[in-house]
Amino acid sequence: MGQAEAATSFGRANRQPMRSRLDGSYGANRNLPMTELTFAKIDQTVLDTLRPASGRYWLAVFLLALGIMLGAACWLYQIFTGIGVAGMNIPVAWGTYLINFVFWVGIAHSGTLISAILHLFRAGWRNPIARAAETMTVFAVCTAGLFPFIHVGRVWLVYFMLPLPNQRTLWPNFQSPLMFDVVAISTYLTVSSLFWYTGMLPDLARIRDTSDGLRKKIFTTLSLGWTGEHEQWRHYVRIYLFFAALATPLVISVHSVVSWDFALGIVPGWHTTIFAPYFVAGAIHSGLAMVLTLMIPLRKIFNYEKIITMHVLESVAKTIIFTGLIVGFAYGTEYFIAWYSHNTVEMETFRWRAVGDYAYGFWIMVICNTLTPLLFFFKKIRTTIPWLFGISIIVNIGMWYERFVIIVGSVGHGFLPNAWGLYRPTLIEMGIMLGAFSLFFFLFVLFVKHMPSVSMTEMKETVAEGEGHGH
Amino acid sequence: MDRRTFLKIVGMGSVSMAVGCSPDPYNAPRPEKNLFSLIHAPEDMVVGRTSWYATTCRECPAGCGILAGNREGRLIKVEGNPLHPVNRGKLCMRGQAALQGVYNPDRLRSPYLKSDGGWRAITFAEAEGMLLEKTAQAAGSGDNRVRMVTEVIGDTLLQLCTETLTQYKSAPPLVFEPLGYESLKSANEIVFGVRGLPSYRMQQADLLIAFGADFLDTWLSPVEYARKFMQMHALDGGGKGRFFFVSPYQTLTGANADLWLDCRPGSEAVVALGLLREILKLGRPTGLSRKLRYQLGNTASAYDKATVSKLTGISVQDFERLTEALRRAGRPLVLGAGLGNGSSNSLQTDVAVNLLNLILDPDLSLFDFEQRHRVEVAASLFDVKETFRKFAEDPPALLLLNNVNPVYAVAGGGEIEKAISNPATYTVAFNSFMDETSVLADLIFPVRHFLETWDEYSGKQVPVSTLQPAMGRLTDSPTLGDLLLKTVDGNKRSAEGYKGHLVGRMLSRADINGELDWLKAVQQGGIHQLPEPKRYKGRAGGPAAEKIEELFSTLAEPHASGLTLAAVPTVRFFDGRGANRPWLCEIPDPITRVAWQTPVMMHPDTLKQQGLKHGESVQVKTDRGNLEAPVYLTHSVRPGMLVMGIGQGHTAYGRYAEGQGTNPLRLLPAETDPRTGGPHFVTGGVQVAKTGRKAKLANTDGSRSQHGRKIALTVGLDSLADLTKKKKSGLTMSDFPLVLPLPEGYDPKLDFYTPHQHEGYRWAMAVDMDRCIGCGACAAGCYAENNIGIVGDKQVMQGREMAWLSVERYEDPDDARQLVFLPLMCQHCDNAPCESVCPVYAPHHNKEGMNNQIYNRCIGTRFCSQNCPYKVRRFNWFSWRWPEPLELQLNPNVTVRSKGVMEKCSFCVQRIKQAHGLAKDEDRSIRDGEIVPACVQTCPTEALAFGNLMDPGSKVRKLAEDPRAYQIMGYLNTKPAVFYLKKVIQKV
Amino acid sequence: MATKYVMGLFKREDQAVAAIGELKASSWPLHRTHSPIPSHKISDALGLKDSRVGWFTLCGGILGFITGFALAIFTSLRWELIVSGKPVVAVVPFIIVGFEFTILFAIFGNLIGMLVLSRLPRMENLEHYDPRCSGEHFGILSSSSDEDREGLLALFARNGGEARVFE
Repeated sequence: MGQAEAATSFGRANRQPMRSRLDGSYGANRNLPMTELTFAKIDQTVLDTLRPASGRYWLAVFLLALGIMLGAACWLYQIFTGIGVAGMNIPVAWGTYLINFVFWVGIAHSGTLISAILHLFRAGWRNPIARAAETMTVFAVCTAGLFPFIHVGRVWLVYFMLPLPNQRTLWPNFQSPLMFDVVAISTYLTVSSLFWYTGMLPDLARIRDTSDGLRKKIFTTLSLGWTGEHEQWRHYVRIYLFFAALATPLVISVHSVVSWDFALGIVPGWHTTIFAPYFVAGAIHSGLAMVLTLMIPLRKIFNYEKIITMHVLESVAKTIIFTGLIVGFAYGTEYFIAWYSHNTVEMETFRWRAVGDYAYGFWIMVICNTLTPLLFFFKKIRTTIPWLFGISIIVNIGMWYERFVIIVGSVGHGFLPNAWGLYRPTLIEMGIMLGAFSLFFFLFVLFVKHMPSVSMTEMKETVAEGEGHGH
Repeated sequence: MDRRTFLKIVGMGSVSMAVGCSPDPYNAPRPEKNLFSLIHAPEDMVVGRTSWYATTCRECPAGCGILAGNREGRLIKVEGNPLHPVNRGKLCMRGQAALQGVYNPDRLRSPYLKSDGGWRAITFAEAEGMLLEKTAQAAGSGDNRVRMVTEVIGDTLLQLCTETLTQYKSAPPLVFEPLGYESLKSANEIVFGVRGLPSYRMQQADLLIAFGADFLDTWLSPVEYARKFMQMHALDGGGKGRFFFVSPYQTLTGANADLWLDCRPGSEAVVALGLLREILKLGRPTGLSRKLRYQLGNTASAYDKATVSKLTGISVQDFERLTEALRRAGRPLVLGAGLGNGSSNSLQTDVAVNLLNLILDPDLSLFDFEQRHRVEVAASLFDVKETFRKFAEDPPALLLLNNVNPVYAVAGGGEIEKAISNPATYTVAFNSFMDETSVLADLIFPVRHFLETWDEYSGKQVPVSTLQPAMGRLTDSPTLGDLLLKTVDGNKRSAEGYKGHLVGRMLSRADINGELDWLKAVQQGGIHQLPEPKRYKGRAGGPAAEKIEELFSTLAEPHASGLTLAAVPTVRFFDGRGANRPWLCEIPDPITRVAWQTPVMMHPDTLKQQGLKHGESVQVKTDRGNLEAPVYLTHSVRPGMLVMGIGQGHTAYGRYAEGQGTNPLRLLPAETDPRTGGPHFVTGGVQVAKTGRKAKLANTDGSRSQHGRKIALTVGLDSLADLTKKKKSGLTMSDFPLVLPLPEGYDPKLDFYTPHQHEGYRWAMAVDMDRCIGCGACAAGCYAENNIGIVGDKQVMQGREMAWLSVERYEDPDDARQLVFLPLMCQHCDNAPCESVCPVYAPHHNKEGMNNQIYNRCIGTRFCSQNCPYKVRRFNWFSWRWPEPLELQLNPNVTVRSKGVMEKCSFCVQRIKQAHGLAKDEDRSIRDGEIVPACVQTCPTEALAFGNLMDPGSKVRKLAEDPRAYQIMGYLNTKPAVFYLKKVIQKV
Repeated sequence: MATKYVMGLFKREDQAVAAIGELKASSWPLHRTHSPIPSHKISDALGLKDSRVGWFTLCGGILGFITGFALAIFTSLRWELIVSGKPVVAVVPFIIVGFEFTILFAIFGNLIGMLVLSRLPRMENLEHYDPRCSGEHFGILSSSSDEDREGLLALFARNGGEARVFE
């Protein structure tokens, strides 16, 4: 109580000077309603989200758990029967499993992008969504990481891919793009989880300080005895900077590596140098869309309106226009190069993409990823919640189909026409896909109710910056 | 395997077999339950080494010599017998699949007795008892009470049957063969006075004209004629023999012709007469009487170019090309109608053809009347039907059926069914399978498979070709010979067992004199010295003019309008007996690339006219009945023609045959040809009706067009010289140079990395597409050697066939009727794209340049397959099953792959390893041609060659340096180790 | 004569900074300061230098770079299998392994650096700590003996903070 009063008085006391400073140089904060936002209020809003959950919440959790069960059942069936229960064949030996893999890795990207790159750029609007984005990253990587296991024919031998010493001195082949994946994805998972956890330390401490009983015990352990002592802050600020500085090249490398799973193959439609930037852009595109998809309900349910302001969503939307245009450009470039190379094989592949058996996928991809986001050019649209939400979903669909078009739409029409073939996913694959989505949302839903889904510390910093305190 | 080692092994093998094996399960101690037990293993059985037993193939009447490979008592592979004059070590896919007859899961293990509608398994002893009793009864009840219908069998056995029947005062057995060559036999009788089937010295001809004789599919002796055909047709000294095919549809044979003249069905005779006219015009001396000549002149005079063109639908130009070629030919050979087009005019065709031959070469030097094809002993279908009709009228007490299936194979064989199921007749079917005929019998008595028996069968008169048991028996079934001998009462018996009888017979026939000869014969699979060819001494003046005149006066009008259906025996199923061999079902048809199904082939124009689409299910109707089949668009049949393969659509005959495909024989007329007594395989007045259903074709091909890519290349005979010209090479698909998968194949301008060395050998293969006829024997050999899984039609539709080697079929860009066959297997690239993408080194390069696939290491990421430009890698989507006892055939030298593992052609690495061992023992390096992969071994036309590319003298190296050599998609610079030699197209 | 810990709690950064200044000038010890957000001003006031944690990160990175390449090269040399005609030790692909390991180990160094330097995890500094310090208050921990405690309290009060005495 005392705190609350103090907070209000604090707020009142500072209203005047702050507004004056709002017209200052902190562009990013211009639309932040500082007037209402105080340290205490931030804590309040965030800590409120940790209150015991409603029955509806647990129902949602339960349903998601069911989804996971279904997926797991499908996978077990596949393991015991053989990978043939999926729709793949020769030539299309890669299907939805790798499509989903790339899709989720893509999602995983904007998390780190938002918290790391934007942190380096000091873009203030990143602070309210950074935590949720990082969480999204971690869980998306976990989901993505499952798919290679589901994909391989003999999952029980998958440890062959780990550099484990063995008496036959047989090691993995580090020339294989798949080994790049193993290294890159596991690095990415480790780094982003550590980044995420380190970023949470002060908040965990805050929860420790505001709770008692078992929860206090748990959070005391989790927060490693963080006290906000300056000796700690001094190093903390530094490593956070390094984290950001290291995560940025990492995030770019990781999706480049994923793109090389394809670009290093000689398959027409894969074997192109544009893939790395193209995939990175695509990843960010899908990631940002997913951020919107997650943030909008979160904001509504947890009354984050004051923290995750319209300005924040709008900034995300603007970035989506940008990434959308990049992928659009990439699509165009692929066609230009195919034509420019005058290689009959390339040309046929791309002709087939646009008008062949999978033309629908191609056009879904183009429309959803490049054309629809252009609507964000209208301020009206990029500031209306339903539009934002709807378009974010559409982009997610589009990005899934982009991976479909790339993976299936290339090998289906390879070098030797006698081997051409088509692929259709089976129900088993659908079940596993459902399971994967359930898993992701299951983890996310659990997180937002039990951990600070907005970084209190960083919000306070923002406010402080607004006041000219802090850094 | 070279001849020496072959002889060594075979010698050792068969001698002991000859002394060791008792043919008689009753006198001998009961055979072990297991195939054999090491406790008393035959001394020729060396663990880990295959013993080869020379015997004779009985999958069709051609009678090729085979070597049956026995590993630890299990028969695991059959290969052609190099010493055998018929097939010279080669084998067709049906021969390869003989194994799946022995090991067929639906093979009956015991006799079955029909009791109140159902079947009851009984012991062989019981069955034998019943048989003896029944014969005794029947014989007692009067003359001609015991009748027998048998397939074409060896002379010895046939005589034994006759003798036995004579004992019962009954007529000799009726020899039934669904493909009986009635028309050809009649024509030979009319023209040459020989009611038989002379063989042809095709290899000596320089021009070959076939009026539908599909000698590369099923006609007479396909393996033999494939070899001879290639001897005359292969590129040799810049030139090659010419081959014209006159038929309404191509078949495999027509697909290999230089010019296919798609005449109207039934108009082959017209073409032949047109040719007669042209030849007679030349006024060359002929052996014919003036009368006949004059008369022929008259008959033929009606058929000038224009008329021929009008009647046959062949363009005048094409006909002129044909006549011109015939005029210029030095040693022309003309072959008659094929099995498939036994149309109303087939006799006229065959007669005209014979006359042509007679006129072109009065002493018929390309005919061999000593070496006549054994199948000539078959009765005409008319006689068969007649016999059965009589059975219906006055039913014999006992009817013995030896491995025949007339109920399936005879169009409208109602009387046959009636006779067999007639309660007044007790029918015993000596058959190892429950097929359409044996299910109607009262007792099914399985007899031993030909690979388990002593016998003698000569595909031609001489030489003698022997059979010997190549393995222990899977069942206690006796051989037919032993059974027959038993039915003869003791004192009249020539010998105790059939083997003794056989030896005795051969001695008496002076085929052999003495034990040693016998052993030698058994060892070599027969006596192969060919007698001096005699000159043909035909009757002076040729046949009687009246007969000829009368014959041609009754020439029927060709089917001018409406749809015509032709049922064609196929290279896969022959007359249908192959339909229960999973390999034959799984290996797609050479022309359609459709497996497991029986599509109805139609020309695009026909489809347009009927408003049908490729791949939709259509109902085909004739006045005989109707059936439903998927439509297959192809340029290999003429417009208005419907072509379906014979062999599938069984209602009984085991799990692989039942319900697979359809049987077009059901649509054919029941009546036989009045002159020849032969069947009609072609019928007019066919209707097709849409069903609206979409049939999913189980085809293994994607696109038939090469889309302008460097895949299956052809070169004009006239432009062969240009190939040798030095061309400047570049980096594009068109001008990329041929790069050897050897260090010298690397060039800093093309390669980022430096070359790698090989240790002594760099294995490579060469495929001469000019020699490849697309028969698919290689694929079958590969299936047999490498334990390749059978996936079934559903999985084939999914695109999951497992063939390591498949003969792809492409249409020539310039002419869709010109097919190019491309045997495609792993290319064992030096820069294999599959290798580097594997995270666990499952595929990698070995020191001898091969692309290894390590199954135990594979975790199934399938990246290798994704990255393989040739898409020759196969993935085990499930663990494929080998139903008991098919698994006994599995080659112990090759791992059986389980689910989740990638596999592909290994160049038969197990054989390479064997050669390494041998070379090491003899302290030498491996000789060229010492290693023969299964596909190379069996190829009837020797289109494939394998060897060490590093040896400048090796055959494969020479072929790789041939100006026709190229690499598929070479511009990818994967440096494939499989070299293809362009098919030579000659404009005729 | 008991010495007790006293914490001054300030709602504003500048108040805290001022208090620190005074405290340093005075005879009372300045044990440590707590704050909900990192603050340069306080660091300056305390006269702390920049963290040296970067050295850990650097070492980690170098170690990772070496490890990555070493692993790739060592493993490929065990069997010397040729794939796709590339040399057994193909440097180009190994760069990726090297890079990822560099990042990974650098991050490890980074984290270890922080834990070591700021001596985490450590629970004992939770005594003499006020929970509000993680909320909105800047805490300055000092100590005094009973007699001169008044002065200390006064110092905190003067700078607009409230003081808390730990019994």
